[in-house]
Amino acid sequence: MIQLDGVIKRFGANTVLDGIDLRIAPGEVVSILGASGSGKSTLIRCLNGLERLDAGAISVDGARIDTPAGLQAARRACATVFQLFNLYPHMTALQNVTLAPVEVLKVPRRQAEEAARALLASVGLGERADAYPAQLSGGQRQRVGICRALAMKPRYLLLDEVTSALDPEMTAEVLAILAKLAHEGTTMLFVTHEIEFARQISSRIVFLEQGRLLADLPTAQFFAPDGGLAQPRIAQFLSKMSKS
Amino acid sequence: MRYSGFTWHDVVVLLQGLGVSVGLFLATTIIGLALGLAWATVRYYRTPVLAPLVAALAELLKNSPVLVQLFLVFFGLPVLLGADLTPVEAALITLSGNTAAFVYVIATSSIESVGHEQLETARVFGLSRWQTLRRVVAPQAAAFGFGPLTGLLINQLQVTSLISVIGVVDLTKVGAILNVRTLEPFLVWSVIGVLYYLMARLIARVCARAETRLRAHSEWKGL
Amino acid sequence: MPFDLTSITPYLGDLAAGARLTALACLLALAGGLAIGIVVALMRTAALPLARRVAEFYVDVFRNVPFIVQLFFLFYGLPEIGPELSPFNTGVLGLALAGGAFTSDVIRSGILALEPGVLEAAQVSGLSRLTIYRRIVLPMALRTSIRPLGAVFVNLILTSSILSAITINELTGVAKIVASDTFQPFEVYALLLLAYFAMTTLVSLAAGALHRRLNRHLQGGPV
Repeated sequence: MIQLDGVIKRFGANTVLDGIDLRIAPGEVVSILGASGSGKSTLIRCLNGLERLDAGAISVDGARIDTPAGLQAARRACATVFQLFNLYPHMTALQNVTLAPVEVLKVPRRQAEEAARALLASVGLGERADAYPAQLSGGQRQRVGICRALAMKPRYLLLDEVTSALDPEMTAEVLAILAKLAHEGTTMLFVTHEIEFARQISSRIVFLEQGRLLADLPTAQFFAPDGGLAQPRIAQFLSKMSKS
Repeated sequence: MRYSGFTWHDVVVLLQGLGVSVGLFLATTIIGLALGLAWATVRYYRTPVLAPLVAALAELLKNSPVLVQLFLVFFGLPVLLGADLTPVEAALITLSGNTAAFVYVIATSSIESVGHEQLETARVFGLSRWQTLRRVVAPQAAAFGFGPLTGLLINQLQVTSLISVIGVVDLTKVGAILNVRTLEPFLVWSVIGVLYYLMARLIARVCARAETRLRAHSEWKGL
Repeated sequence: MPFDLTSITPYLGDLAAGARLTALACLLALAGGLAIGIVVALMRTAALPLARRVAEFYVDVFRNVPFIVQLFFLFYGLPEIGPELSPFNTGVLGLALAGGAFTSDVIRSGILALEPGVLEAAQVSGLSRLTIYRRIVLPMALRTSIRPLGAVFVNLILTSSILSAITINELTGVAKIVASDTFQPFEVYALLLLAYFAMTTLVSLAAGALHRRLNRHLQGGPV
């Protein structure tokens, strides 16, 4: 269980997260929607410890992440996939995927490489395991990023706008993989602009507006006229997104 | 075992050495700047024989040790020319040439950083190459090259210390003299080091002040 | 009479030995300077203000004090407080300390040029700080730093000529003896100049080639 209690995060005079309470239970697929600047990415960055909180607490499986031990445990339980891929440019796809399992989980190298090759094959990159990031397309790089996250066998998968930097064709590739993962029962927390996708695979939708949670509803209810759509701000946002 | 203690006279000697170092630094900087800029102008005009020659000379001076250049001029030239050179004269010639080579490099890269469109625009408006250089290229290049130039000056100050090896009684030579006489190497070389350090800081501060003055002058303040 | 090089030929063996000593001193100093430079660069980019200040002070001192003064300080001063190093070891130590200051500059730039996103990805995957430095930061920073490190090595080679001032018979030291023995300082020092020029050009070319080789995976579009 990922638990956020009264989380507040400020950047200078700007309050980006203004008192967030959120629970994510194992098996859930939660999408975080909202306008740019509403604090969505900051939320993920607080979860994996890249940003420090100004107030409130976050705990992952009972351990608070403001202690070094808790943070380390949280980072093993959660894996992040980034919008800009953030692959290690001087390592091959295979090495990108095996680095953390070998160094952190102390998996023997041979075993890690076999597992990595299997993972890369499952996303259609079996032939490209020895390619460097510079030789891969955006969609391929993001698929490596997903494998890199999955290689750690995380309990929770955090995805920060992972298709925003991809063209439509590559977006579809990556979304297909994510849909499969959701189907297989992976616990996922998405930040995304892909409304249709969120609607199809999420169990729950959370709407962020200027640092506050405007809605936290099961998917069907979120898109219902008397549920999420009843809120003018949400309705406005959804209609704007569907026009583009 | 102390050979001889420090005296007040030593302070005088120290200041004299400092004066020699500063004097040679300033003289060679001025000559080097003038020479280096002249070379850069030759490169700008792409004069047939002169430009590649100048480039080769600068490259040679940049990529060889200053100490060897000093030896070549002080020991070698007199044999070739049949005339004697005093240590100070040799130092002047060598360091000016060395500074000029680095000024040349900074100047040419600064000039090159001024966009080609500007040169073309100037040409279209009928400006001669000299006018373009003077009015369009030079001011911008000067702003660009200021930083590297400051670094160069500080470096060339350090380089002056090598003239002590061919016998010029500069700050370093005074240090060597005091070191041998008093047998207090820590104290002597620390003081010498601190003096060079302070001079380097002074140069940095003067150049920074000059740069802001230059930029303020050329900043367009609007209508 | 001028440019009669035959009188130099008997000394070629000694000159070669001197060149080998130069090469050895420079390689050792490069290794030491690189080690020091990496540590200092890490300190300069550290979160702890004390580490940063100590590192900045070190770089400041070695950049603003002439190398020959640093060398004399070590050569005459160290025996007073303890270790009696041979002139050669003192020379290598001096070169390494000075080289470390310049190397740290280069590596620091390399570290600062790293994409923060890549470092964040490493952090959140649970890698320890040491592992991140060892497998991500340093390999990447070094790859981009090859060319500027080549420039530092060139600088080391040129600076090594100053070691002749503390009785080390590296290339310049031997050349001095040859010049006075043959009474042909101009020819000897001119050749010496060209020899250093050849060495530094070689190093620059090698650095360029190494840079291209190490970075070949980092460019080029999708295959």
